[in-house]
Amino acid sequence: MTIAPSASVIEVAGLRKHYGEVRAVDGVSFEVRRGEIFGLLGPNGAGKTTTVEILEGLRTPDAGTVRVLGIDATRHPDRIKERIGIQLQTAALYPFLTVSEVLDLFRSFYARSRSTAWLLEALDLGERRHAQTRHLSGGQRQRLSVALALVNEPELVFLDEPTTGMDPQARRSLWDLVLRLREQGTSVLLTTHYMEEAEQLCDRVAVMDHGHVLELGTVEELVTRRFHERAVHFDTLPGLDMAELGALPKVKRAVIEDGETVLYTSDVAATIAALLARTEVLGRDPTNLGIRRATLEDVFLDLTGHALRE
Amino acid sequence: MQALLRLTIANVRSFVRDRNALFWTFAFPVIFILLFGAIFSGGGSTTYRVGWVDQDGTAGSAQLRQAFASVPLLRLQDDSLSAARAAMQKGDVQGIVVVPRGYGAAVAGSAGAGYAGTGSAGATGPATGATGPAVRLELYTDPSQQTSSTTIRQVVAQVVASLNVALTGRTAILGVTDRALQTQDLTSAAFLVPGILGMALMQLGLFGAVPLVAQREKLILKRLGATPLPRWTLVGSNVVLRLLIGIGQAVLIMGIGVAAFGVTVLGSLWLMAGIVVLGALTFISIGYGIASFARTEEAANGIVQVIQFPMMFLSGVFFPLEIMPSVLRPVAAVLPLTYLGDALRQVMVGGSAYAPLPLDLGILAAWFVVCLGISARFFRWE
Repeated sequence: MTIAPSASVIEVAGLRKHYGEVRAVDGVSFEVRRGEIFGLLGPNGAGKTTTVEILEGLRTPDAGTVRVLGIDATRHPDRIKERIGIQLQTAALYPFLTVSEVLDLFRSFYARSRSTAWLLEALDLGERRHAQTRHLSGGQRQRLSVALALVNEPELVFLDEPTTGMDPQARRSLWDLVLRLREQGTSVLLTTHYMEEAEQLCDRVAVMDHGHVLELGTVEELVTRRFHERAVHFDTLPGLDMAELGALPKVKRAVIEDGETVLYTSDVAATIAALLARTEVLGRDPTNLGIRRATLEDVFLDLTGHALRE
Repeated sequence: MQALLRLTIANVRSFVRDRNALFWTFAFPVIFILLFGAIFSGGGSTTYRVGWVDQDGTAGSAQLRQAFASVPLLRLQDDSLSAARAAMQKGDVQGIVVVPRGYGAAVAGSAGAGYAGTGSAGATGPATGATGPAVRLELYTDPSQQTSSTTIRQVVAQVVASLNVALTGRTAILGVTDRALQTQDLTSAAFLVPGILGMALMQLGLFGAVPLVAQREKLILKRLGATPLPRWTLVGSNVVLRLLIGIGQAVLIMGIGVAAFGVTVLGSLWLMAGIVVLGALTFISIGYGIASFARTEEAANGIVQVIQFPMMFLSGVFFPLEIMPSVLRPVAAVLPLTYLGDALRQVMVGGSAYAPLPLDLGILAAWFVVCLGISARFFRWE
């Protein structure tokens, strides 16, 4: 690798972790650059969590090298804990303590810390500061867990599906916060189920499955690398069988996703014309007809064979 | 150290705000004492039964018996000394008066001397102040049974004083030797209170396994492990919290014993505190041992119940080990609560020993060390 240590906050090479027969992580290599938001995507059991926990110094790998902030995370996990922030999907820590008390407690664990006021403001928890954490809603609890990851003003933050359980408004405001953190020079490693989240936030993503990194790059790169074609989509019509649709001019592939028929084509005009001619014979119009570029979701489906949100 | 303090404060706050936990740790043992105390003590009696052991068998001793029998507060029950002691240990009598052999002769002789001595202030004769009373009654009471022992001792002292005057006019011919006899009777709050304290400490430590496993299951231990906080700090703050609760329980339970049941705390409070801390540590380490093997909160709860329930009944908390069937005694002999209860009972109310105090403490310490080792080896943070 030619990149100087100072330019990357995470360098992983040949990472391997097996549990008996299960190859949870099987030769993973990637790097995360300073000031970058890096997304780790993959279905459940893909090896994301194990990979992230090795990076956090919580697990030791069977093989491979891990450098986090220039430190060997396997040998000196305690030296990185002070400088990274970790958000875990945990139930309420200390259900009988208030939001402020939990934040103050975690601040006392670190040599350097942000003010409680800053954290309450950033995660929009000011109004709930005196509420015991057991009384928080799922989304508020999630925001508290993100606040705890930021307590020590970390150089590198690990966010594990941070917007799960949040309403759309809270999700938007968390995205804004993550982008603001990047502006301040914080690097972020994000695992997520939400394609939209990855597309909005991530400078680069890695798609994992079965312990391998299948694809790595910017969202744009991943999409164009795999799909030169565009997608013509409409509400699935009875009477049209898939073999027939797949045989329409210029169609590479026809699939059904969530009650919607999607035709991947290299010539949108030719495909739509043929489609409309066919539906006219049936005496029906395709509803919600539209055209789009392939999305990260399509890439994901194509790579792993299943939808990310399972 | 700062983090340890903050973490301990957080633990204490959490505990105090958790009404459920408060109830089980404080109200539950109190209810136990009040309930068992009320059942067994059966209301305040206005008469006391006293074993009467006449080893003299003369007309003089018969007269003495009459004098005591005329006191309305006392009801005499004739017996041999060994039978009377057994009766007292069972709680059938609250005290024993022993009239020694030679009483009749001594009284007759002294009375003669007193009359003969023309009232010169007893420079001669066996009944003078310098040589002490000519004959001494032995009086057994249980000092931990404050009300009955004080009353009986006062009554006996009054009877003896008036007899002295009647017999001699002035010199003290008759004296009383006080003897303490620890009763182990079921009706005795003094027996019950140290036992309940031991039980409370046992439950405090064992049930500590349940939240610990729950915290592991909910990844709270993992989250705390992801901070720079050393793990000993986590364990330390947890142990400090439980020790504080244990001391609080001890104060509360002893306070109720003293206030509601007239139990007298005889031993040193420092020694008591030391035993409470050792006992709490022992059972906390057993709790950690259980948490090392239980995977779920439910499993931890089940294991704790399976251990604590038999232990409660097989360790002599509610009744003396002597009345336990002989097949169960070897079980009692290995249970740590047996030795904690015994140590507390010996020091707190001067109870008769099941084992010598150093052995009690040694066995508790051994349990502590073994379970500490097991926990250090097998405890998992996630």
